[in-house]
Amino acid sequence: MTTPFPPPGFIPAASAIPGIAVYAPAPEETEALPEIIEFKCPQCQAMTAYCVADGGLRCTYCGYYEPPKRSIVGKGAQEFEFTVETMAVASQAHGWGETRQELQCQNCNARATLPPGRLTHTCPFCGSNRVLQQDAPQDVLRPRFLIPFKIEADTCRPIAEKWLGSSWMTPKSLKQSTVAGFTGIYLPYWTFDAVTQADWKAEVGHQETRRRYNSSTKSWESYTVTVWRWESGRVRKFFDDLLVTGTARLSGVLLRQLQNYDTHALVAYEPQYLAGFLAQAYDIPLEKAWEEGREAMRAATRDACRGQASTSQIRNFSMALDFSEESWRYVLAPIYMTVFQYEGQPYQVMINGQTGAIAGQRPVDWHKVWLVVGAIVAPGALLSLLGVLAMVLGLLLPPALGAAAVLLVPGIILLIIGGIIAFTIVGKARRMGDV
Amino acid sequence: MSELTGWGTEVVITVCPHCDWRYLVPVDKAALRCPHCFAADLEPVTEGVEQLPYLHPPELMTPFSVTKTTADQHIEKFADGIPFAPRDLNPEALRSRVQPLYLPMWLVDGDVTATWEAEAGFNYDVVSHQERYSDGGGWATQQVQETRIRWEPRVGQLERHYDNIVAPALEQHAAMEQALGVYALDNTQPYAVGTLERALVRLPDRAPEAAWADAAPAFQAAAGEECRQAAGADHIRQFRWSPAYTGQHWTLLLLPLYATYYLDDDDEPRPVLINGQSGRVFGVRRASMQRAQHTALIIVAIAAVLFLLSLAVGVAGLAVPPLLAVGGIGGVLALCVGLGAIVPIVRVWQFNRKPVETL
Repeated sequence: MTTPFPPPGFIPAASAIPGIAVYAPAPEETEALPEIIEFKCPQCQAMTAYCVADGGLRCTYCGYYEPPKRSIVGKGAQEFEFTVETMAVASQAHGWGETRQELQCQNCNARATLPPGRLTHTCPFCGSNRVLQQDAPQDVLRPRFLIPFKIEADTCRPIAEKWLGSSWMTPKSLKQSTVAGFTGIYLPYWTFDAVTQADWKAEVGHQETRRRYNSSTKSWESYTVTVWRWESGRVRKFFDDLLVTGTARLSGVLLRQLQNYDTHALVAYEPQYLAGFLAQAYDIPLEKAWEEGREAMRAATRDACRGQASTSQIRNFSMALDFSEESWRYVLAPIYMTVFQYEGQPYQVMINGQTGAIAGQRPVDWHKVWLVVGAIVAPGALLSLLGVLAMVLGLLLPPALGAAAVLLVPGIILLIIGGIIAFTIVGKARRMGDV
Repeated sequence: MSELTGWGTEVVITVCPHCDWRYLVPVDKAALRCPHCFAADLEPVTEGVEQLPYLHPPELMTPFSVTKTTADQHIEKFADGIPFAPRDLNPEALRSRVQPLYLPMWLVDGDVTATWEAEAGFNYDVVSHQERYSDGGGWATQQVQETRIRWEPRVGQLERHYDNIVAPALEQHAAMEQALGVYALDNTQPYAVGTLERALVRLPDRAPEAAWADAAPAFQAAAGEECRQAAGADHIRQFRWSPAYTGQHWTLLLLPLYATYYLDDDDEPRPVLINGQSGRVFGVRRASMQRAQHTALIIVAIAAVLFLLSLAVGVAGLAVPPLLAVGGIGGVLALCVGLGAIVPIVRVWQFNRKPVETL
């Protein structure tokens, strides 16, 4: 049996020498998708959307189900190198689908204008879902992988209500508030892999106890000195799927609290996953995100280097760090968002669509906070005040000086401890409103 | 014998009865000594000529790049610095015996039809970073570019003609290359009529059938390089092919060499070879144990005379006591000189300890 030539999967390629035919592997067939994909049920023509529970498309009317075409690729998802060409294109591009688009709904003919970077649209009039397949400046800068939603939208409300009631600092009436209307949105993320190798050196301080003769007391006494010795070492650290957010349009403070995505669940990009959800393209370009990623990697490597030193007393620390095997991916990650009103003020809440982790702003009942702060500080302040009064009294009645000391010492100690706790509580209360 | 007419000079086939190397020699130089072993005069071959692999004139030759003057300098350097060198190992003797010689290599032309597969490597540049940190200065970042290779599979078909693929024509070719270095084949010239008026030509002792084992990988290497170019790749690896060869044509390429010799202690010729292209010299540099022994004998004789004189002075010292001391000193001196006789022998022994290499 003769082997066929060319082997399956090979197609003719250009040859620079006559008499030599060259065949190269055929490029991976990419399904030519229309610019805008509408999701309609093939059975009843009603709208279909991605169903979190089933992991596929489902018709909300007739129950038609279409499983996803591709399976989980996890950490095996293709990674890209920082080639000169990619970096040149990435530095010029400002996201995929930067220009505003005006869409006319093919279902009800309503017109809608989409904000920059929006990848999906649900018609506000008829509810039909569509995914926009816009042109990318370079193919690799399209989202190739995503983490699908695992948390259903219905689950968000109990999670949010539990979270709202989990802090004593929030107003009592907040528990009656309605936190609803969670919108599922795929956010852009960059993932970075790299190996860092660092050679470090530093002076490390060691405590040594020595003895000396004190001629005034005519006795030997011990004292401690810090002896500085040069130490050096090498650290090799592997970073796998370091996530850096690709959008500056949402609160970085909140997003960082939700960044515990498991990239083992990555799947190849399919427009079906986006049906019924919002999706946003990146607006933080690759180079800028990689700067942020590198900053996190070098800080972690520096900490690892300092951790190698034999003590934590370090000075004149220096290190040389080399990055290698750097790669990146552009992925979409799921999040639920909502904004609830309390006493006329808007508060943002976000829930990780994969893990259910929650972060957001909560109103603070400052009366309650100051009451607690007062209760904590009061015992120390009262005792100190009594101690001071006893001291004043002690000027007239010397035996009262003893009582003043008994009151003043624990009073000051309690005041300091209470002050620290109060400071922490106020700080925490202030951060509850941060975005 | 009609093949011999194309050489441009009237030549005869000769053989060395000692080492069995065969040469083409101009008729007027037929009685030369064998430039390989220098142990016997060349004798004309009259029988079995038809069994010789190839007698046609060569297609190409590599000319002598090392002039006679440069060769002389190499010879002087070779003869210099040998302790108690054999009397015959001197620049004059070596220079007077220099014989230019050409060594043969096969050149194969042929058509090849094949299917091939390989991994083609394409260079690409990536951006990386190197960073430095110090407590006082903070971070300093330097962007660097690294070239990496992306390997991709390629297959293909090939229908090409290859010219002048080289293959060894001598059994000793590998040993020759080790001794004299590899000849660069980039400045070959068509064979010039009259070349044999100045130099002998060694005849191949390896038939094309035997040399094919070396020619086939050379064809593969040439095809691999062409396939790399055809695919527009920067590198190629894992090149495999299924070739079918047709229209093979074998000719010769001549490589230049100077040969000379010196006679050692036993009057045995020791060949010295000089690469006619690079000037690299190969030969065994031997010190003469005979000369060392002669020198040692002279020193021993001087020591003996000294000893006898000291003995005589010592005997006289019985009558004149101060002479006794002079006799003693003379005896010690004689002993020292006598011991010094070992120096030339040890020196020569040490120099000759280096392994003897022969082709």
